[in-house]
Amino acid sequence: MPIRAPVKDTYRKKSPFTGLLEHMNKVKEGIILLREGVLHYIDGDYEGFHKLAEKLDIIEHEADLIKGNIRAHLPSSVLMSVDKRYFLWVLREEDAILDHAENLAHMLDMRPTKIPIRLKEDFKAHMGLVAETVEEMEKAVENIKHLIETVFSGKERNETKAYIKNVHQKEWEADQKGYEITEKIYKMENNLSPMDEYHLLKMVDWIDDIADHAENVADWLRAIIAR
Amino acid sequence: MLTVILIAIAIFAALYMAWNIGANDVANSMATAVGAKALSLRQALIIASILNVCGAVLVGKHVTATIQGSIVDTALLTDHSLVLGFLSALLAAGIFVTFATWKELPVSTTHGVIGGIIGFGLIEGGIDLVKWGSVGTVAASWMLSPVAGAVIAFVTFKIIAYLVFGTKDPLNSAKKIGPVFIALTLFIILMSIFSKTNVGEMLGYTTSEYVLFTTVISLIIGIIGFFIFKNILGEGYDVVESLFRRLQVMTSCYIAFSQGANDVANAIAPVSVVLLLTWGKIDTAYLLLLGGIGISIGITTWGYKVIRTVGGKITVLTNTRGFSIDFGAATVVLIASKLGLPISTSHTVVGAVIGVGLARGLEAVDLSVVKRIVYSWALTLPVTILLAIVIYKALQIIF
Repeated sequence: MPIRAPVKDTYRKKSPFTGLLEHMNKVKEGIILLREGVLHYIDGDYEGFHKLAEKLDIIEHEADLIKGNIRAHLPSSVLMSVDKRYFLWVLREEDAILDHAENLAHMLDMRPTKIPIRLKEDFKAHMGLVAETVEEMEKAVENIKHLIETVFSGKERNETKAYIKNVHQKEWEADQKGYEITEKIYKMENNLSPMDEYHLLKMVDWIDDIADHAENVADWLRAIIAR
Repeated sequence: MLTVILIAIAIFAALYMAWNIGANDVANSMATAVGAKALSLRQALIIASILNVCGAVLVGKHVTATIQGSIVDTALLTDHSLVLGFLSALLAAGIFVTFATWKELPVSTTHGVIGGIIGFGLIEGGIDLVKWGSVGTVAASWMLSPVAGAVIAFVTFKIIAYLVFGTKDPLNSAKKIGPVFIALTLFIILMSIFSKTNVGEMLGYTTSEYVLFTTVISLIIGIIGFFIFKNILGEGYDVVESLFRRLQVMTSCYIAFSQGANDVANAIAPVSVVLLLTWGKIDTAYLLLLGGIGISIGITTWGYKVIRTVGGKITVLTNTRGFSIDFGAATVVLIASKLGLPISTSHTVVGAVIGVGLARGLEAVDLSVVKRIVYSWALTLPVTILLAIVIYKALQIIF
């Protein structure tokens, strides 16, 4: 091992992509929490959900700080290897995932709605598909370091394209599940209180939104690697 | 008595200038290597110090003559004004470079000395005394050096990107392409050492002989490199980078050596004029040693400052990128010296960083730092001219 002087670390500027990956790790953590929390909620454990929702708040805040830091260190004088606008859109959409997760958590936390037994499994499956969409997006974003290393060519480019394709697939599946649940809710409308029905429909919508934003991240990534 | 004081000042000024050269110019050779972690900062400073002294002492001799008569017409001046003039030029250049190093900006020490000499030439002999063609070449270097550095580094990096990263198995490609780059790099290094220094004369080689020698040695080392690279285990891009790390160390060492050989003149040439006119005799070998040691002290004390700018503030580097920059800079300096074009290594290296950035090789290049650097280049001549005038006037009052 060569001897390394410690001063070197004090001046090495962090790259915006490192920041992006840090931010993404927060998204990852947040969605794992949200998924766990929503499963608690569906099973009626509102106390357990509340605890996880509070943790999610903290993560969302940390992610905001990272995002602000990346933006603050990207003045117009920085020449990037990718289109800076596209990069900022990736960041914005990635951040929107956590924003929506937080909003959803707050909304659920305000009203402990009983999920009808017939919908429980569907809701769990829907949440699972949305989380998987985000996971596929995470893989695509994680590959960006390899993309930069290989100058956006070769096999890493194809790999990223494959991940992006998976994101679209999962998002589509999540959509289908969402429509299915919505249809079931409408069919049950005579047995539900109007507020319960409103809340359930909103829950489907807002969970689905998260997958939409994950898809947007993938789309902007696709724009970045387009020749 | 007055002569003794002048000699003392001259030796101090030379040492001070040498210190400045070490502190500022070491970034040319080592910044990218440190930035890409091919060498630790401490390793880089030690290696650069040793190679600079070697370069200065072994092959620094031939360049000391060039700076003396080419900028002002020294034949028209009295000995006394020449002595004071070269002293003020040295001090002016030294002060400017100290300021630049303090601000962590890579400037051309050669341009600093040229500015200083123009300054006293202007005040002593007026506009006619200055050979304005030489000023033109300095100005041309601002444009030529960065652009040439950018172009060659851009192309080098694009080639690496295409032949290594664009393939199905980048590591395997790197193992095949790497030795070719070893041979090419070695060829450029040896050719530069032969053509930019007087090693060829020392060994008694003619041009065709050293071209043949260089080609054969490069091929042999390239083939050896092929077998070494072939047996390197591991996988992934880290290994690709590690192959280029070895190449980068080669180019960095070469630039450090040639810097010692060429830049030591900036400190030694003016002082040798002063000593010749006051003392009547000079021993160039001792002066070169003095210059080499001064440069080493500069490297080890303040060398990290400009390294910090080029190796970290402008951008973050990896070895393939760092190699492209070094290879680009070394190639430009060789071609330019063959064609007789004025090139500043400092300017070329900064241009090469931009070149790799334009080839999408760098995650983010901070152009605001680059802008500050370019301003400092443009300021070099005016500031050193003014400083030299002021110092010359002051010395005239004292002596």
